[in-house]
Amino acid sequence: MKRKILAIVLVLVLTVSCIAVFAACSKDQTDAEYILGKKTLVCGITLYEPMNYFNEDGDLIGFDTEFAEAVAEKLGVEAKFQVIKWSSKEIELNSKYIDCIWNGFTVNDERKQNIEFTQSYLNNSQCVVVKAANLSAYTSAAYCEGKKAAVETGSAGETAADETLKATIVPCAAQTNALTEVMSGSADFAVVDVILANSMVGKGDYAGLAVATSVALEPEEYAIGFRKGSDMAEKVNGAIKELLADGTLQTIAEKYGVAGQLIK
Amino acid sequence: MKFIDVTLQLLDGFGTTCLLFALTLVFALPLGLLICFGSMTKFKPLRYLTRAFVWIIRGTPLMLQLFVVFYVPGMLFDNPIFSQFANGRFVAALVAFVINYACYFSEIYRGGIESISKGQYEACAVLGMTKGQTFFHVVLPQVVKRIVPPMSNEIITLVKDTSLARVIAVIDIVFAAETILSLKALIWPLFYAGAFYLIFNGLLTLLFGFIEKKLSYYKV
Repeated sequence: MKRKILAIVLVLVLTVSCIAVFAACSKDQTDAEYILGKKTLVCGITLYEPMNYFNEDGDLIGFDTEFAEAVAEKLGVEAKFQVIKWSSKEIELNSKYIDCIWNGFTVNDERKQNIEFTQSYLNNSQCVVVKAANLSAYTSAAYCEGKKAAVETGSAGETAADETLKATIVPCAAQTNALTEVMSGSADFAVVDVILANSMVGKGDYAGLAVATSVALEPEEYAIGFRKGSDMAEKVNGAIKELLADGTLQTIAEKYGVAGQLIK
Repeated sequence: MKFIDVTLQLLDGFGTTCLLFALTLVFALPLGLLICFGSMTKFKPLRYLTRAFVWIIRGTPLMLQLFVVFYVPGMLFDNPIFSQFANGRFVAALVAFVINYACYFSEIYRGGIESISKGQYEACAVLGMTKGQTFFHVVLPQVVKRIVPPMSNEIITLVKDTSLARVIAVIDIVFAAETILSLKALIWPLFYAGAFYLIFNGLLTLLFGFIEKKLSYYKV
């Protein structure tokens, strides 16, 4: 009998302490009040050039890095960068481990239903990457039909390969994996962001790849993603307008070679 | 990127891998014994509760458990509890690994304990030993000997399973190799990372072989 009572008491204590811990800090405040209140803007990133990457000295630099720091300064908060798994970005955002997704995040209608986007700041497009030896054959979108296209699952590249190029999809976990598929010959071409392709193709192990510029795909835009319904997006828009007006953003874009794609 | 730079970055991640491995063992080995007692107790509600828990943990992917431990407090209760730690992601991963592995260990312990014949308990009773004395001086030493092979299996699996922690962005050796891949377009560091696991597991295999030999006294 004693043991039964002990067990029941233990279960009760556990339950109560769990509820106490979880309920401790749910307050009624808007997202902007929450972020400005804690004085940090945690940006969810993945590491890639030219957006967010480490230089030789181990400092985090890149277009999105400096852009986020400039916006945070305008808003009187500190920009912090948290490396995340890209496939978990929405979950990171909604569980509040990050405050925004700021890492070359493509705007589309499906994402708009669950994410509060700021105004767009960069033009991007998808491009076709092939083995340099096969480059001359890729003269038009029609040539890609029915061929094997390596794409990141859920990416804008997948939509383009499927709907525009009518290729057979080879799903990959990341855009860089898609490039590896082409290198290994298990796919005929990859469809990835042009900004990523420009910084990787022809380098390192991807030296044997080339961008097929003759195959044109639809343009898209990058923006910063906040939690759905967040009033922070509007505040960031204000800061972006100021940075555009005083030329700061133009300077950062020129530094990282994306001035041509900047949306003014 | 030079070989030495890659090695240093991978070693950095490998430190996290080893720490996660070691701490998981430190906490999961005793917790497993506790869960084992729970699943063998004569007190039925506790026994069914424990067995249901073991069923859930062993029956769902560890990757999902990592997600649940790390993200659910923030999503459902608006309270990202792990953000209060400097390395909250590591702590969350540790919690998930300890719970998961303790459940597997508990079943190995149970198998070991149930393999001890009833006659030994009777002999202890005749000699006037208490329940505690019987368990710690007679049963447990034999259990340890018998569970070395299945334990070594599970522990070697744990070494490789630690790489799952990267789904909540814990920077382990595989995450480090993937980062080099996406930054420098270098593929070989990923396979080089595999060599770290292989060597580490090789050493563990030797260690377990040695332990098994040391414990092979009173062989009948």
